[in-house]
Amino acid sequence: MDKTKKPFVSTAVLAGIVLVCVLADIIAPGDAARMDFDALLKAPSIAHLFGTDPLGRDLFKMILHGGRVSLVIGLFSSVITAFIALFYGALAGLAPKWLDNLLMRFTDLIMSVPSILFTVSILAVLGKPNVLSLSVVIGVTSWMNIAKIVRAQVRQIHKSEYILSAKLMGAKFLYMLRQHLLPNIMPSIMFMLIFNVSQAIAAEATLSFLGLGMPPGTATWGFLMSLSQDALLTNSWWLVVIPSLFLITTLVCMTNIGEYFRRK
Amino acid sequence: MIKNLIQKTLTLIVFLLSLSLIVFWLAKLSPGDPLTAYYGEATERMSESQRAAAMERLSLNKPVAVQYFTWLKNTLTGNLGMSHQHKQSVASLISKMWANTLLLGGVSYVLTFAFATLLGVFCAAKEGGITDRIIYRVGTATSVIPSFFTALMAILIFGVNLKILPTSGAYSAGAGGFADRAVHLIMPVAVMVSSHLWYYAYMIRNRVIEELRKDYILLLQVKRVSGARILFRHALRNAMPMLITIMAASVPHIIAGTYIVENVFGYPGIGTLTFESARYRDYNMLCALTLLTGFIVLLSNMAGQALSEYLDPRMRHDTVLREDADG
Repeated sequence: MDKTKKPFVSTAVLAGIVLVCVLADIIAPGDAARMDFDALLKAPSIAHLFGTDPLGRDLFKMILHGGRVSLVIGLFSSVITAFIALFYGALAGLAPKWLDNLLMRFTDLIMSVPSILFTVSILAVLGKPNVLSLSVVIGVTSWMNIAKIVRAQVRQIHKSEYILSAKLMGAKFLYMLRQHLLPNIMPSIMFMLIFNVSQAIAAEATLSFLGLGMPPGTATWGFLMSLSQDALLTNSWWLVVIPSLFLITTLVCMTNIGEYFRRK
Repeated sequence: MIKNLIQKTLTLIVFLLSLSLIVFWLAKLSPGDPLTAYYGEATERMSESQRAAAMERLSLNKPVAVQYFTWLKNTLTGNLGMSHQHKQSVASLISKMWANTLLLGGVSYVLTFAFATLLGVFCAAKEGGITDRIIYRVGTATSVIPSFFTALMAILIFGVNLKILPTSGAYSAGAGGFADRAVHLIMPVAVMVSSHLWYYAYMIRNRVIEELRKDYILLLQVKRVSGARILFRHALRNAMPMLITIMAASVPHIIAGTYIVENVFGYPGIGTLTFESARYRDYNMLCALTLLTGFIVLLSNMAGQALSEYLDPRMRHDTVLREDADG
């Protein structure tokens, strides 16, 4: 494992997957949920590149359109996670000792309960899930570890002269965060943020499988993967292999890129 | 020592109280009508007075704060309330299930760390070699696959197609000996181990590699101490406090894993109970389960901390120094 080797392959593959999902409307136009009763459970062919499911929906379309939802949820929830973690961590890092202790005890408290339990409880409270609520739920249940690292980093630099002089000149918290803390912290949490995107995508898949994800009809990758149960019984390998291949490839690429940032 | 113990117990109590507040508040926010959850369709046919009587019986008509303290008092006296969905007492339901989860989680936990340590040390010894690189690739792939998918595949291959392993439950109806339990555990445990193994093995690998770069290892090599002895007696031993810290921190991770695996395999345990109660807004149950989980996690964290302090007294000193440097 060469330390300086850049993850070219992973980046290229990931970029490819993201691109086809973003351009889903151009590459695979039409309604992904449309059922074609003349083509039930067809194996991959020219007409249906990835085959069709038991309801005659085109898997190629579903993967591209659904992938968009999966990727958006992954990204959006990570943005939420990053915001909370940065804000909370920086606040704790700059706060007086008693407040810092209190804030850190609170993170310990939240971390003592498996996040899936919180996710499920919050989803139960919110009712019908959509892209926004799912992202928020995944986002607010996964910021604790990153916040702890942000806090430790801020603690390390909060006595340095430029922070002190900024404080003396009356810099506000948000200005300090943006101008002085962020550039210093970013490199050390970059890899965690990337891992977080892949974990969020996997979390969405798991929620889909548990029946707590997007409403039926929105075929996210997680939803498609949970269909494998019926698929192997009918011997339709493409329904099992293709969606999981997309998800796993995406996650592996992200892990490799994250691993590069960690080693750097 | 005793002061330390008292302090830790107090922390634990404050933690659990705050946790119960959060959970209770969360459950209160949920839009479902707990009366409907308890009486189902019958709620619509109730007269006003019947409705009020039912509310009174479940003490749902009092202010939230009063409800909380009633619930807390009951909880402390061992009465966890009724499960609105199962119409049984929460305590009896949990007591039927917890041993199953403990068995599944415990076996997976021990096996995961046993294999992770071996694999981590093995990869550290072969660092950068072809075996290490292959294991790294395979490990990364297996650790990103959501465990529900691994579980589904395992069921379809070993349960449905090959028909050599049971696909669900913790024991067969009517039977229930040791062998029967063990056979039902094979697949859930295998899925648990495969989805957690590399995550920990990789951490152990990196820590052992770090240890292998130190000067004393060079001295041992010069003294012609055997490779296995260096790895296990010296490098791994020095990585032990870190290993124990990870093991303590991994408890919530493993518990979350059992929740999902239990759900796929229809294994009767705390996990299946949790998802059911969340889906039907059975908040007596949800509160009790969350408190139980929080209690176990906090206890294991404390045990882990105490153990690593015992193994390496510097850990105590380190934290003191770090706190001082902070303030």
